[in-house]
Amino acid sequence: MPVENYLELLPIIVLGVFFFAVTAYMLYWAANRGHFSDMDAQSKVIFTEEEPEGELSDTFPSKH
Amino acid sequence: MSDSTSIKLDTVIPYTTNDPSLRAELSEIDRSIRSASIFFTASAVGWLLLGTVFALIAAYKLHEPGFAVGSEYSTFGRMRAAHLNSVALGFGNNMIFGVCLWIMARLCRAPIRHGGLLLIAGAFWNIGLTVGIAGIIKGDITSVEWLEIPRYATPLLAISYVLVGIWGVMAFRFRKGEHVYVSQWYFLAALFWFPWLYVIAQIMIIWAPAQGVVQSITNWWFAHNVLGLWLTPMALGVAYYLIPKVLGRPIYSYYLSVLGFWSLALFYNWAGVHHLIGGPVPVWLISAGIVASVMMVIPVVVVAINHHMTVVGLHREGWRSPTIRFVVFGAINYTFVSLIGSAMALRDVNLVTHFTHFTVGHAHHGAYGFFGMILFGGVYYMMPRLLQREWPSAGLIKIHFWGSALGILLMVFALQIGGWIQGLQMNNPEIAFLDIVQNTMPWLKARTVSGLLLLVAHLAFALNFFWMLLAPGKTNSKDAPTLLNVKEEGAAQ
Repeated sequence: MPVENYLELLPIIVLGVFFFAVTAYMLYWAANRGHFSDMDAQSKVIFTEEEPEGELSDTFPSKH
Repeated sequence: MSDSTSIKLDTVIPYTTNDPSLRAELSEIDRSIRSASIFFTASAVGWLLLGTVFALIAAYKLHEPGFAVGSEYSTFGRMRAAHLNSVALGFGNNMIFGVCLWIMARLCRAPIRHGGLLLIAGAFWNIGLTVGIAGIIKGDITSVEWLEIPRYATPLLAISYVLVGIWGVMAFRFRKGEHVYVSQWYFLAALFWFPWLYVIAQIMIIWAPAQGVVQSITNWWFAHNVLGLWLTPMALGVAYYLIPKVLGRPIYSYYLSVLGFWSLALFYNWAGVHHLIGGPVPVWLISAGIVASVMMVIPVVVVAINHHMTVVGLHREGWRSPTIRFVVFGAINYTFVSLIGSAMALRDVNLVTHFTHFTVGHAHHGAYGFFGMILFGGVYYMMPRLLQREWPSAGLIKIHFWGSALGILLMVFALQIGGWIQGLQMNNPEIAFLDIVQNTMPWLKARTVSGLLLLVAHLAFALNFFWMLLAPGKTNSKDAPTLLNVKEEGAAQ
């Protein structure tokens, strides 16, 4: 790819702009939806009624 | 913060309720992805064994060059590339597809749609990889590190990846609720970054090769980012899910986890050019890469603090869990390997480590000591929940852990101590090059021994895995899913 002709780099530049724009939009989207607020609540979303906080959930298998 | 969390340490109870009605939703999610996750994981185990054999052949030939010289198929160059692609794309990616997508489905709180899509993707991936690695051994290898697979196999891999990526986005799109946990950030970002890396590298190196140093820059931008923007976020996402989940304690600081994610996103993709320090590359570009490599200290320290503070006070409980053993070992190694990596990017340090076995040790430290170990932990957590069946042998898990842990530590110490000495000697013009090569022999033999330890560990893992998968009658003896009836029996270990 001769670098003298920068037009040949256009597809890569367009791809780069696209990926950067998506990243910037994701940051905006996350801030707008409140994902950067109430951090304590966010950290607990992995616990559910079936698998509540405060319970160990893995150990070596017992002997059968 | 975890201080407010009350952990029931004295009366450890099963991780889930035994009430089937409460289990129904989670069971449905697990069931919806079971076939695909098991297929990917079983494939990963197969590639791991094959990749280990390739690695042992290559490692042995480095100090016994007369070994297996009868055929061009087993030359060092082909065996090394076959090993790299087997473990990185065969073991690594299949593990990611198996474990990370399962965690993604759970965090999205909805049964997955189009599970068949994942199975098709899995078939394409493994067929493409088989063709590619057979091509490497046959002699169709490209000359580009990390992109050795011949171009006739890459379209199959690309199709497969697109299917997985589409599935990941769809799972996220149809999630229940508004919450997005930090693991989902890591998974989604990695699913988004990898095609960007792969497409650019394929275009600029294979299909329409850039000229001169631009090709090398692209090569190392790609190769380093496969570790940094693909394997790393996936493993960190798994760790951020499993450590708090297994211990029943929320992550110490969610704020730090978000900071760690965005600082990794900002800095890591600049770092790859530090592989070209000393090369004919514009100085500003190298300097930018060095600065970014040092700035990586921020996400690394953030993750280290977060994981350590989550585990602190629960070490005894963590040691009883195969999952936590592997994941914490991996997380600790993430801290060490990343800080060593940042130091290696400094010009004065790189002057010694460049072109030595030190770099090889560093790559294995990251890819296996960090990424591989965390994903092993993920499999130990996932499989009982998918199959509703216990791991058949605690002994095999321990053999796997100790074989892997001691094996990778021996390898890293041998290659990095030997590599450092090698670098110092290469910088001394009074020492003949062949003498330096001879001096590396003890370290290379130690590396082969470490490979044998890893082989034992992998055989134990494979035996336990397929025993669990194929002999249900012998391993299914409890009522509750995942069978962690420690309430009745006490901890097994």
